[in-house]
Amino acid sequence: MLENVPVLSLIVWIPLLGALVTLLLPKHHSRLLRGFALLFTVIPLLLAVWLYASYEPVAGGGAFAEHGTWLSVPLNTEAGLQGTGVNVTSYRLVFDYRLGVDGLSLPLVLLTGVVAAMSVLASVHIRKRWKTYFSLFLLLETGMYGVFLARDLTLFFIFFELTLIPMFFLIGIWGYFGREKAANRFLLYNGLGSAIMLLAFLILIATLGFTVTETAGGAAISFGGDYETLLANLADPNAAAHASGAMFLSENLKWAAFVLLLIAFGIKLPIFPLHTWMLKVHAEAPPSVVMIHSGILLKMGVYGLVRFAAFLFPAQLASWATVIAILGVVNILYGAVLACVQKEFKLVLAYSSVSHMGIVLLGIASLNETGFEGAIYQAVSHGLISALMFLIVGSLYERTGTTKIDELGGLAKVVPFTAGILLTAGLASLGLPGLSGFVGEFLSLLGLFGSLKWLTAIGALGVLLAAVYVLRSVLAITYGPLPERFAGMKDARFVEALPMVVLTALIVLLGIYPSLLTDLMQHGFDGLLKELQTRVGG
Amino acid sequence: MATVFSQYAWLVPAFPLAAFAILTALGRSLSRTGAWIATVASLASFVYSVMIAAERLAKNAEDYIGGFAWLRAGSVNLTAGYEVTNLTALMLVVVTLVALLVNLYSLGYMKDDERISTFFSYVALFTASMLGLVLADNLMILYVCWELVGVCSFLLIGFWYRKPEARAAAKKAFIVTRIGDLGLLIAILLLFWYMPGHALDFASLHNVFYAQSGIISTSITTLIALLIFLGAVGKSGQFPLHVWLPDAMEGPTPISALIHAATMVAAGVFLVVRTFDIFAAAPAALDTVAVVGAFTAIFAATIGLAQNDIKRILAYSTVSQLGYMMLAVGAGSTTSAMFHLFTHAFFKALLFLGAGSVIHAVHTQDIREMGGLGSRMKITAWTFGIGALALSGIPPFSGFWSKDAVLTAALDDNPWLFAVGVVAAFLTALYMARLFFLVFAGKPRGDAGAHARAKESPAVMTAPLIVLAALAVVAGFVQTPFSGWLGSWLTGGAEEEHASGLAIVASVAASLLGLYLGWLIYSKGAVRRDAVSSRFPRLVRLAERKYYIDELYDALFVKSLRGLGKALSAFDDVVVDGAVRLAGRSALALGRLNTRLQNGQIQTYGLAALVAAVVLVLAIAGRRFW
Repeated sequence: MLENVPVLSLIVWIPLLGALVTLLLPKHHSRLLRGFALLFTVIPLLLAVWLYASYEPVAGGGAFAEHGTWLSVPLNTEAGLQGTGVNVTSYRLVFDYRLGVDGLSLPLVLLTGVVAAMSVLASVHIRKRWKTYFSLFLLLETGMYGVFLARDLTLFFIFFELTLIPMFFLIGIWGYFGREKAANRFLLYNGLGSAIMLLAFLILIATLGFTVTETAGGAAISFGGDYETLLANLADPNAAAHASGAMFLSENLKWAAFVLLLIAFGIKLPIFPLHTWMLKVHAEAPPSVVMIHSGILLKMGVYGLVRFAAFLFPAQLASWATVIAILGVVNILYGAVLACVQKEFKLVLAYSSVSHMGIVLLGIASLNETGFEGAIYQAVSHGLISALMFLIVGSLYERTGTTKIDELGGLAKVVPFTAGILLTAGLASLGLPGLSGFVGEFLSLLGLFGSLKWLTAIGALGVLLAAVYVLRSVLAITYGPLPERFAGMKDARFVEALPMVVLTALIVLLGIYPSLLTDLMQHGFDGLLKELQTRVGG
Repeated sequence: MATVFSQYAWLVPAFPLAAFAILTALGRSLSRTGAWIATVASLASFVYSVMIAAERLAKNAEDYIGGFAWLRAGSVNLTAGYEVTNLTALMLVVVTLVALLVNLYSLGYMKDDERISTFFSYVALFTASMLGLVLADNLMILYVCWELVGVCSFLLIGFWYRKPEARAAAKKAFIVTRIGDLGLLIAILLLFWYMPGHALDFASLHNVFYAQSGIISTSITTLIALLIFLGAVGKSGQFPLHVWLPDAMEGPTPISALIHAATMVAAGVFLVVRTFDIFAAAPAALDTVAVVGAFTAIFAATIGLAQNDIKRILAYSTVSQLGYMMLAVGAGSTTSAMFHLFTHAFFKALLFLGAGSVIHAVHTQDIREMGGLGSRMKITAWTFGIGALALSGIPPFSGFWSKDAVLTAALDDNPWLFAVGVVAAFLTALYMARLFFLVFAGKPRGDAGAHARAKESPAVMTAPLIVLAALAVVAGFVQTPFSGWLGSWLTGGAEEEHASGLAIVASVAASLLGLYLGWLIYSKGAVRRDAVSSRFPRLVRLAERKYYIDELYDALFVKSLRGLGKALSAFDDVVVDGAVRLAGRSALALGRLNTRLQNGQIQTYGLAALVAAVVLVLAIAGRRFW
C-alpha cells in the first residue's frame, strides 16, 4: 500500500510537521498538546512498524532508499590537465539528500519510535510550558530519525546537530535543580564531539567522496558525502588513480579519521573517561527526557561507531580490536563498580548505562557477525530497559519527591504494580535470560570470546556486578519496611501504567524470541564482514 | 518404539507456565482462585509426566528430541529444544510430584497471606523453569532455565519482602549463585568455540567427549568441566558457595521444601550428571568434584549439629546430602548420585513440610523452645520420624538404599572418600536424632501457652506429609544391591550391581550409633547436653558460627568492593570530572582574557594585532617545512 511513498522521508519529517503544528496550538491546553505530540509520534512509529513488516533482510533496504540532489556548488579550482593525464573539466561540491535503511539502522529506528511514543506518555509529569516542550521534543525526534536514516555525511551531521539543540533546552528548562549546569555540560561535550566528527567527515569527503563523471571534454569530479560512494571508493583498488590527483586517503589519514570518529562517537556512547557529562544529564534532566537521552541518544554513538568507524575502516578496527575490547572492559567494570556505591538511584542507572555500553564495545571488537548483532541487540535492549527505568523514576519521584535510595523503601507494599515493573526492569538490566538484556550481552560476549578469551572472561564479571548493583538499589527501594510518610501512596495511573506495560512486554518478547530482531539484522553486516575477511583475512 | 507422549513433552512445563501467565495477568484479585489454578496446572503436569514415564517403562522407548528455532545470529543457531530420556522422565516425575504436593500443602500453609496468588504464580514459574531445565536438550536452554529457577528462588526467598532479613537473604542467594552461573556461562562460551559446528546440544557433547576423540584437548576439557562444576557448586550449595542456602530459609517453608531441598538445589547434581561425559574425559575435574562433595558433606553436617533453628538444621543437612551426591558423581557413579537425588527429594521435602507444620503450630523456629510436640501432632511426628530415619539411612527406608549405593561407589573409588562418607552418615544420624527428640519428645519448653494451643495441621497439609512418608519408605526399592533396576533403566545397559558387605555394615553401624548417641543425649539425658560444649567451647562456637565464613566473605569481598567503589567514586569526581572542569574553566579564563583585551584602548588592539600577525607569518613560513 505504501509502495511509491517516500516512507523514510515521512518518518523523518512528520515529527517536524508536528512541531510546527504544535506551535499553532493554544499553550495552556496540556492535554491537547500532548495528544498532538502523541499523534505525530505514533504516525512515524506505525510507519516504522510497516517498514519492519515489509523489510526483507536478504534484499536489504534498497527499495526504500531515497535520493535527491540538494545543493551543488562549483568549486573554484583550476580545471586542467592533471598528472594522470585525465583532463578534468570541473570540480563541484555536491550536497545530497539521501535516506536509506538496512539491518543496522532498522532496529534503532524502531527503538526510536517506541521510546519516543512512551516518552510522550511519560510527559504527563511535565508541569510548565508544554507548547515549547512538545515542539522541541518533536524537533528532537526528527533529528533522531534523521541520524539513523541519513546516508550522506553532511545530512547525518545536520541531523546529529539537530538533536543537540532541542536537548539542550529540554534539559536546561525542564530539569531539576542543577539543570542549567547539566545542560551546559551537555552542550560543551557534545559540541566538542560534533567538532571532531565534522573534522573526520571533512577528511572523508575531501579524500573519498569523489565521483568521476567522464564527459566528452574530460572528467568532471564532484565531491560529496554519499555513504555508498565512500564505501565504493574504499573498496575500489584503482580509486586512487581515479581520484585524478585529488588527495586520496592515505594510511595515516585513515588512522586519523578512524581515531577521530572513535572519539566523536565515544563521547556519545560514552566511553570512559568521556562519560561525566552524561551523569549530570541522567541526574538533572526530567525523566521523560532521560528516557530519550539514555534510550536513544546514547545509541547514536553505537550507531555512528559501527556505521562509520567500523564499516569504513575495517582494517583499523581489526588492528585496534584489542584496544576497543579493553575500553569496553574498562567501561563495564568501572561503571559497574561505581554503580554499586551510588546513593542516588538515577546515578546507579547512569553508571549502569556506562557499564552496559561497554558490552556494546565488546561486541564491536569481536569482528564477527555474532558480536556485531550482539552489540546492536544490546543497544536496542538497553534503550528499552533504561527508558522503562526512567519512566518508573518519573512516576516514583512524583509521589515521593526523592530518588535517593536511603530515603526510599518498602514501596512494594503501596505501589505493587510499579514495584513489580521496577523489579522486572532490574532483572532485565542484570541480564536475566528470558528478558532482552541477556541476549545482547550473551551474543556480544560470545562473539568476542572467539578472539579475546581472557578479556571476555574479565568483562563477564560485569554480569556479576550488575546483579549486585541492581538488586542493592531495586530491593532497597521496593523491599523492606515502608517509611510512614509513604503510607498513602497511590499506584501508577493508567497513563503511566500503559507505557510501562508496553515497554515490559517488548523486553519480555525480545527475551523470549530474540530471532525477531536478529533475523532483521541478518544481512546488515555482510559488507563489513566481507571487508574484514578480504582485508584482514578472517 | 515410537513414543507418543514424549513428543509433546513441552506440555509438562507449559501447564505451569500458562498458570503463571494467567496469575500474573489477572493479578491479586484472583486470591485463592489463583492458588487453585496453579495447583490444577501442577496436577496436569504431574499426570502427563507419569504418562511419559509409564510409556517409557512399558516400551523400551528411544530418546526423543524436539524443539523450536530460538536464536539465530551469525554463527549462533540455537533451538529451544527438549529431549526425553529415561533420566529426564525420572526427573519430570520427581519434580512434578513434589511440586504438586507442595502446591497442595501451600493451599493450607499460605491460606491467610494476602499475596497468596502472587506466591502461587512464582511457584508456577519456578515449576515451569525447573521442568524446562530438566527437559533441555542443549546447554544454552538449560542455562536459560537455570537462571530462571534462580530468579524464582530469589523471588520466593524474598516473598515476605518487608522483613529486612528476607531481603538480605534473597539478595545473597541471587548474587552468590550468580558467581557459579558465571562459571557455567564461560563454560558455554568455551564449548561454543571449541565444539565442532558450535554445537551445544547434549547429543553432540556426548559424541565428542564420550569417545574421547581428542578434538578438544584435556586441559581445555578440564577447564570446561571445572567451570561447569562451579555452576553446580553455586546452585547446589557446595563449599565454598554454600553460604546462601541456609539464609534462604527466610522464605516460606513450602518453598524450602520444593526449591531448596528437593528440586532446584539438586539441579547442580543433575547438571554434572547430564554433562558427565565431559567430566569423565577430565579425571582431574572429576576428582575435584569428589573432594568438594566429600568435604561439603562432612563440613555442613558439623554445622548442622550446632544450629538451633529447625529449618537451618535441615538446610545444612541438605547441603551435606548434596555433597554426598557430588561425592557419588565424583566417584564416577552417576546412577547412585541420581538415586540419592531421587530418594532425598522425597524425604527432605517431607522433613521440610513437617517442619513447616510444626512452625505453623507453635510459631517459632527455635528447637530449644519446642519439645513434647509428638503427642499433640501425631501425624506430623510420625511422618517426620519416618523422614528422619530415611535421612539417617536406617534400613529399609529409602535413604538407606541410596546412601549405601553412594558409599559403595565411594569405596570402589577411594577408601578415603568412603571413610568421609561414613563419618558424615554418623553425623547425619546424630543431628537428626537431636532434632527429632528436641522437637517431639520430652516436655514442652518455651512459651507454654503457644504449646497448649499447638494442634495438628489441617488435612490439606498432612495429606502431602503422608504421601511423602510413604515414598520415603518405599522409594528405595527401585535400586537395591539385589536388583539394579533403576541403574539399568537410566543407563540403558545392565549395570553390574554388586553389594559391598563392608559398605552396608559400616553405614548401618554409623547411623545406628549416631541415633543411639542422639537418643542418649537428647531424650534419655544419660549424657549431659553440654558435655561437648563445656569441654571444647571454641570448637562448638566455631560450628555454631558456621566457621565464620560469612564474616570472612564480608571482609574479603563485600567490604573490598565497597572500598573500591568509594575510591573510584572519588577518582571519578576529582580526577576525571576535575579534568573536564579544569578544561571548562580554562576556556572561561581565556574568554575573560579576551574580554579584558576588548577594553576600547587602541594600544591593546594594536598589541593583539601585532601578536596575531607574527603568529600568522610564522604559520605561513612554517608551512613550507611541513
